[in-house]
Amino acid sequence: MKTLDQTAREAGGRIVAALAATFRDLDLAEEAYAEACARAAAVWPAAPPLDPAAWLYATARRRALDMIRRQNARQRLAPDAPEPEATAEDHLASDARLIPDERLRLIFVCCHPAVAPEARAALTLRLVCGLTVQEIARAFLVAEPAMFQRLTRAKKKIAEAGVSFEVPGPDAWPERVEAVLSTLEVAYARAHEDAAGAGPHAGYAREMLDLTAVLTELLPQEPEALAFAALVRFAEARRPARLDAEGAMVPLSEQDPALWNRALIRDGDALLRRAARLNRTGPRQLRAALHAAWSLRRSLAEPPPWSAILALYDLLLDWREDPFVRINRAVALAEAAGPAVALAEIEALDGPRLADFQPFHAVRADLLARLGRRDAALAAYDRAIALAPGPAERLWLLRRRAEL
Amino acid sequence: MQYALLIYENEALYRGDDGRALDEIIAAHQALAGELAAKGILKGGSGLKTTDTATTVRKTGGQHALHDGPYAEAREQLGGFYLVEVPDLDAALAIAKRIPLGGDGAVEVRPVIDED
Repeated sequence: MKTLDQTAREAGGRIVAALAATFRDLDLAEEAYAEACARAAAVWPAAPPLDPAAWLYATARRRALDMIRRQNARQRLAPDAPEPEATAEDHLASDARLIPDERLRLIFVCCHPAVAPEARAALTLRLVCGLTVQEIARAFLVAEPAMFQRLTRAKKKIAEAGVSFEVPGPDAWPERVEAVLSTLEVAYARAHEDAAGAGPHAGYAREMLDLTAVLTELLPQEPEALAFAALVRFAEARRPARLDAEGAMVPLSEQDPALWNRALIRDGDALLRRAARLNRTGPRQLRAALHAAWSLRRSLAEPPPWSAILALYDLLLDWREDPFVRINRAVALAEAAGPAVALAEIEALDGPRLADFQPFHAVRADLLARLGRRDAALAAYDRAIALAPGPAERLWLLRRRAEL
Repeated sequence: MQYALLIYENEALYRGDDGRALDEIIAAHQALAGELAAKGILKGGSGLKTTDTATTVRKTGGQHALHDGPYAEAREQLGGFYLVEVPDLDAALAIAKRIPLGGDGAVEVRPVIDED
C-alpha cells in the first residue's frame, strides 16, 4: 500500500485543486485537506484504504462540507449546505480516477495578475505542489513568518477581490498563460541560481520538473509552456556537472558533457520539438533552443557551439532588448569575435543600472583579464565577488581573480 | 459582486484647449456607460469636477478642520468612478481596460463591501 507521504506527493495537488474548485475557497480547501491527512495518519495504520487518494479526497470533502455547515450555523445567515450524496461519496472513496482534475484552474487562480508577483509562485508551490510554508520560505530566502504572511495576504486578496476560479476565456488567455509562465520562470530561476543545488533547492527543483510536466499535460497547445518545461529539463540535466570537486561553479563551456543527464535532455528535446511543431515562436523557445544547442555537445573535446549560441542570442534580442541577454551574448561574442569586441558591447550597456548586477561584473572582469587590463579586471572581480549569489559562484570568482 | 472602478488621470490634460478633449472623453464615457446600463451592469457612477473645486474636511483629535483642495496632492487625481455589478474580478478588470482615458492614467478596481 502507498504511504501517506507518497499519496500526498502524488495526489495532493489534485485533491486540493478539486476542493478549491468546488468550494471556491483556498483556505477551506487547504484546511480540509490538512485535516484529512491528519486523520489518515491516525487511521491508516490500522485500516489501510483500498484507494488512498480517493480516501483522502472523500474525507477532505466531507470535512469541508462540515466546516461550511458549522460556519453557516454560527452565522445563521445562509441555509445549510446540502448533505453530500452518499452514492457519489461511495464512488469517490473507491476510485481516485473520479477526482476531477482542476489543477489548471488552481494554477490560473494562484498566478492571477491581480495577485502580487512575489506571492504567485509561492502560492502555486504551496497549493499545487504541496510544499510546506517552511520549504517555500527557504527556497525564496525569506523568513517563515514573512512567507506565511505573504501567502495569507494573497489568499485574502483572491477571496475578497473576487478572483474567478474559472479557466480564463480566449480574450484573457494569452495574458493569463504569460502570467503563469513568468511566475514559474521566476520561481525556477531561484532554484537554478544556486549552482550547488545541494541545499534547500534540491527538492524544489524536482518540484519544478513535476509542475512543468503537469503544465504540458494541461496546456498541450501552448508552445511557450512546452518550451519552458524543456528549458527546466535541459537545465536540470546539467546539475551534476555544475560544481567541481571543491564546490566551485563550473561554467557551461567547461562542464563535462559526459556528466549531463541524457534522459532529461531527451525529454527536453522532445518537448522543444513539440513546441516547434505548433509554429508560434516565442522567447522561451529561443532560450530552450540555446540549452538544446549546448546539450548537443558530447564531450569536452568537441568545440563549444559558440556560433549557434551567438545566432540564438541575436534572435532573442530581436524579440526584446534585454541587458541580461546582451551580457550572455558577450560571452559568445568574445569567442567568435574576440574579447575587445565583446568588451565594447558590454561597456555600451547602462553601467549605473547594472551596478548591482553580478553577471555584468563577472563577464566584464573576464574580458578585461583576457585583454591584459589587470587592474581593471581585479576591480571588476572584487565587485562581482561582493555580489556573488552563492558560495559556488563566489569560490569560482575568487579562483579566477587569484589566477590574474 | 460589485466593484468601484476609480479613475485617476492628470486633470491638466483637459485644461486649456477650449474643453474639446473633455467633450470627447465625456462622449466616450457616455457611450460606455450607456452600453453597461443597457446590459444591467452599471449600478452607479459619476464624473467629478476638478480638484480645484475640492474642499477637504479633516478630523484630527476630535477636531474638524477644513482646507481648500483635494485630500492628497498627486500627479494624477480621482476624476470619476463607475459602480458595476459583475460575476468576478476578471469581468471588472475587462471593463476597467475599456474605460476611456485622455492619456496616461489608471483605473483602480475595488470590490465593494457586501451588504448581505
